[in-house]
Amino acid sequence: MLAFFFAAVLPWLYWDQGAATADAVKQAGIDRLYVPAEQETAWKAAGFNARAFDAAKFVKLPAPGVEYRADVATATNVPWVDANGWRFERGRSRAYYYDVPWRKAALAAAEAYAYGIEAVIHLEPRDLPAFGRMLAFLRGMESAELPALANIGIIDDGSRETGEVLNLLARRNLLARVVTAPDPKYELNVRIGSKEYPKAEAADPSAFASLIRRKLTDEKRLLRLYGSDVVLGRLTGDATRVRVHLINYGGGKVEGLRVRVRGAYTHGMLAAFAVKSAALIDYNTADDGTEFTIPEMDVYAVVDLKK
Amino acid sequence: MPGLYPGKVARVHAENSIDPNSEKVDVPTVREMIAQGMRALTDDADARDSWARLFVPADVVGIKVNCSGAPGIMSTPEVVADIVRNLGTVGVKPEQVWIYERFQNQVDTVHYDRFVPAGVHIWTAEGRRGTILNYDPNTYVDVNFFGEDDTRSNLARVVSERFTKIINVPNMKDHGAAGVTGCLKNIAYGSFSNVARSHSGFKTNTYSFIGTLASVEPLRSRTVLAVMDGLRGVWHGGPFSPSRKFRFYPKQMIFGTDPVAVDRLLLDVIDGKRKAEHATSVWDRSMAHIKGGNGYDENPSIDRFVREPGHIEYAGKLGLGVYDTGKIQIRNIEI
Repeated sequence: MLAFFFAAVLPWLYWDQGAATADAVKQAGIDRLYVPAEQETAWKAAGFNARAFDAAKFVKLPAPGVEYRADVATATNVPWVDANGWRFERGRSRAYYYDVPWRKAALAAAEAYAYGIEAVIHLEPRDLPAFGRMLAFLRGMESAELPALANIGIIDDGSRETGEVLNLLARRNLLARVVTAPDPKYELNVRIGSKEYPKAEAADPSAFASLIRRKLTDEKRLLRLYGSDVVLGRLTGDATRVRVHLINYGGGKVEGLRVRVRGAYTHGMLAAFAVKSAALIDYNTADDGTEFTIPEMDVYAVVDLKK
Repeated sequence: MPGLYPGKVARVHAENSIDPNSEKVDVPTVREMIAQGMRALTDDADARDSWARLFVPADVVGIKVNCSGAPGIMSTPEVVADIVRNLGTVGVKPEQVWIYERFQNQVDTVHYDRFVPAGVHIWTAEGRRGTILNYDPNTYVDVNFFGEDDTRSNLARVVSERFTKIINVPNMKDHGAAGVTGCLKNIAYGSFSNVARSHSGFKTNTYSFIGTLASVEPLRSRTVLAVMDGLRGVWHGGPFSPSRKFRFYPKQMIFGTDPVAVDRLLLDVIDGKRKAEHATSVWDRSMAHIKGGNGYDENPSIDRFVREPGHIEYAGKLGLGVYDTGKIQIRNIEI
């Protein structure tokens, strides 16, 4: 049952290069894929679990990554992170479709996996090996069917303002979940348009996200990241364990990422894509928090913490 | 800090210490400046005794150089080499000496290895910009300036885990945000990560952040000597020095254990030079001169930030030294 669950959440490849390329796809370790409808039969004949792709059944996503906006005056040189996690929070029941440029396929796959969403990824053919390596990494992950953890409940009115606030919260690793009504399990419940969170203030989503952060306080945050502006995290867990998903949108390796998770966990295990002998360093628990450093990370790393 | 000699400094000027045209350093003169400066600071007849007051053979000594303006201006290699030589006279072996700075790409342009004995370590915290691996995860200042998510500035591991003593070797430089960059800024911003965030807007947080970082243990207690290298200086555009336009040659060195007292003298050197060049004072807080972009590179009447030279007095209030010139004992020596 678990195996089925994880097969279901592994991202799919959408491949339109024709069945003549079957060997390359096999070499990448891929045995299931979406293909143009007219190629479905040929791919099945080649031994693949092939499905006809129908774009209408998927929500198209922008490519994840970062933009260095040198032409825009800002207080810092922190790059703009294009991430889709907040979109998944808004519409978790739908299936998604990425059409990504070169060197973004592994990132898109990691993002989709981290949020447990069904995704199909169309990539540049030269990205196929990297995509295959990411799929192999994800297949090797220990299964962990855990609910998402967050500090903030956002009552989503479906507006553009609320969407942008969700986006800004995610970019600052302020963990939020979309709720239909205030939920006491969150430290903070935010309804944009309420007296406490006026709609006018949400017109500046960055300032609004800062307001939410101040109200929450950094001490209560379930997750803090130090040492990178381009890594975003997601937390899942229960009373005894937590899984930290870390996605690096920056395009380069991160050397040293300090992570703080609220709560004391005595054991931590790291799995890092494209990093040999990955292990956590400088691990300690103090002040109701568990901290550790990831020495090196590529696109994606997962840390499992247990009490 | 403020160490064995609070409120006491020795200033040594030597006209022949550097040739402003070639920027060639006269090594015998520099050696004499250091000997006389140290003797004047400690009131010893023999410079070896001066060094022995501060260092023992078992010490592991970090030399905090400043290379942010390299290769135009940096802790002069000949000065650093003579410091290493003097440490040797009291039994500190080359293998126990670490020249350290934050950014490798800056240090690489200086080639300290050509001036110091084999065995001296040349260490940088960030071989690759932004890496936090060489910083101590457990020693940091946590402060939120403008809503940044990474609110920590961590101390370099060598400071907390390896050194027993530190010698601070700053230059005499203007600094667009801090007003000047001397002992305090060199030891603070040069030993901690993630500090540039304090001057990300026109109005900066350098006033309190510099002294706060400098007062963090064990940095504070391990920094036992400051040798301010003023052979060269920068009177505008600092801490960088891409061209010689704003470089000048004070031809002096200041010795002390009190970073506030040494930096207090630096303020007058930089502000005096700026006044002589008809540039805005380091104390000018008018927004009229503040402009974004790179205009300050060429025009000394343009500033990038509101300067905060008051960071030195603030550090004095934290107990790091003596700011009041009436209470600073200055020994002036001319060679």
